[in-house]
Amino acid sequence: MLKIRDLHAQIGARKILKGIDLEVGTGQVHAIMGPNGSGKSTLASVLAGRDGYEVTQGTVEYLGRDLLELEPEERARAGVFLAFQYPVEIPGVNNAYLLKAALNAVRKQRGESEVDAFEFLALVREKMKLMQMDESFLGRGVNEGFSGGEKKRNEILQMAVLEPRLALLDETDSGLDIDALRVVANGVNSLRSADRAIVMVTHYQRLLDYIEPDFVHVLSGGRILMSGDRTLALELERRGYDWVRQEAQVA
Amino acid sequence: MSAVVAEPLAQYREAFEAQQTGQTFAEPQRTAAFARFAELGFPAPRDEAWKYTNLRRLQSRRFRSPARSTPAVELPAPLAPFRLPVVDGLPRWDLCAPGTAPGGLRLRSLEQTHRDGESLGALLRVPPGGGTEGFAALNAALSPDLLVVDVDAGAQPGPIEITVMATGDEPGMSHPRILVRSGAGSDARIIIRHASDSGTERLVNAFVEVEVGADATLHLYRLLAQGERCFHLERVEATVAQRGRFVMHDAQLGAGLGRIDLNVRLAAPGAAAELTGLFLADDARHFDTHVHVDHLAVGTRSLQDYRGIAAGRGRGVFNGKSVVHEGAQQSQARQTSRNLLLSASAEIDTKPELEIYADDVKCSHGATTGRLDPAALFYLRSRGLTASEARAALTRAFAGAVLSRMDHEPFATIVHDLLDGRLARLVEVTG
Repeated sequence: MLKIRDLHAQIGARKILKGIDLEVGTGQVHAIMGPNGSGKSTLASVLAGRDGYEVTQGTVEYLGRDLLELEPEERARAGVFLAFQYPVEIPGVNNAYLLKAALNAVRKQRGESEVDAFEFLALVREKMKLMQMDESFLGRGVNEGFSGGEKKRNEILQMAVLEPRLALLDETDSGLDIDALRVVANGVNSLRSADRAIVMVTHYQRLLDYIEPDFVHVLSGGRILMSGDRTLALELERRGYDWVRQEAQVA
Repeated sequence: MSAVVAEPLAQYREAFEAQQTGQTFAEPQRTAAFARFAELGFPAPRDEAWKYTNLRRLQSRRFRSPARSTPAVELPAPLAPFRLPVVDGLPRWDLCAPGTAPGGLRLRSLEQTHRDGESLGALLRVPPGGGTEGFAALNAALSPDLLVVDVDAGAQPGPIEITVMATGDEPGMSHPRILVRSGAGSDARIIIRHASDSGTERLVNAFVEVEVGADATLHLYRLLAQGERCFHLERVEATVAQRGRFVMHDAQLGAGLGRIDLNVRLAAPGAAAELTGLFLADDARHFDTHVHVDHLAVGTRSLQDYRGIAAGRGRGVFNGKSVVHEGAQQSQARQTSRNLLLSASAEIDTKPELEIYADDVKCSHGATTGRLDPAALFYLRSRGLTASEARAALTRAFAGAVLSRMDHEPFATIVHDLLDGRLARLVEVTG
């Protein structure tokens, strides 16, 4: 589904990604771990098409298309979803409006008709129940005045409504207490399916206790230094990121 | 410079000499008013009150005075059950069904009001100062009639609309004049919509006077929606009595150049003014809003909340001033001016000011001018909205804070629709 080859990216003159190779297959869940500043969030941002990052080398193929050529909204319509590390507060733009506009944009791309108000409400209600969110959130501005945990839940709610093919979760566990983490993980797990891939970027292995990945990659200094199954995350937790760097140097 | 009119005031003098109001009783007042205009002339380019608004283009134009006739006129769909058109300055009683005005409301002409014993000096007064005294004088001299709207004490009449139309195929000028007075304890809503029947070049020089009685609430909704070649100048003078409340909602969406001078006197204890406004200066439109609030008594409150959007080569000016005079203790004055620039060649000049001569007061002011937040734009696009849709949604959200205060549904709807149409076109051009 997603093939990243030798990806280099920089912000201004600062080189952040220095040759990422990663292949994500349909139905798989990948975790990308790494210390702060390793380039994890940059990778998620580059994949979603955020401005300010310059890709200087390499390719990203998504469902057979050149992902880097697409505008952010084209990526979204093609089924790529980024759950933000810091969801943006947008007062005055209604949550329900955004959900509906986003859903219709995706449906249009899939060749489906627009949802009517009843279908929409039924769908959103069901997903809000899953995310343990009160319906009053629908009438509020996007993320406006939401707590950290509410913002993260709202991200996963959007994801649940939009049903993307490729979900990128950027530090979705950061700032969550254990109860909120369970709810968010539960939401993500409900979206695991054979035709969807999930890539989680995280600093801690805690999230992986709740969302079990098929593959774990360690990103450091803009490169993937090590890949393995979920036992790698446990090893990391025990031995720290320095161990990976030393191993990589030895190799 | 080409085509400079030899004597810039000549056309106004001709108009004054040729006018036939049929109101000989008011001749002394009009003559005095014209003399005052002739004395003051147009504002000088260095006039501080006109720092950002240049009237050179207006001065180089020639406008015909409307004939005192009652032409057929096409009016926009009304925004209230009762509507009185004022066409080229003249109230058109013939265009509203007699006896349909809501109870508790009296509508009269200058002549009727004068016959009822009121002083012409007051009805045709020229308030001094404010940078627009000259235009106020010109209005008093050339307005063909005065529309007087009185709300009876304690009355709660339904909303009414006054549609101020500028008409005709030739460039013309008009000087509409309206006086609204609300009696003690009344509660009324009045919509003043400025519109035109074509894109012809025009000058509209309006004067509106408002008196809010004790314990009364008056909502004034103002919509500027003329064609883009209209020069619109307006002076609004409002006085609020004790515990009275003046609420004004302003939407400046039309005309090519719009200038409003809104002067509010909170004259007695507990008087309050809530002034909110929105302008959209797209293409080459220019809107200049001058608000001046005088707190003259104990416990007076004022709020100014204005939002401006400038796009294309548009320009917006906001100058808001609140003065808390000596003795006006326990007063509150709040001012905010928020502005959004949608293009590199658009411009906003904003200056909120406070002058405080009392020590026990709560005052705040702030002004911001910014662009659409790139993080918010990306967030919306990452959810599948196109760049244009995202820009329109964020711009609408910006305006929404002021729109949500416009609590008269038909007015809110027309402002919303006009704004939406323009924003849709705007993001196509710039998006």
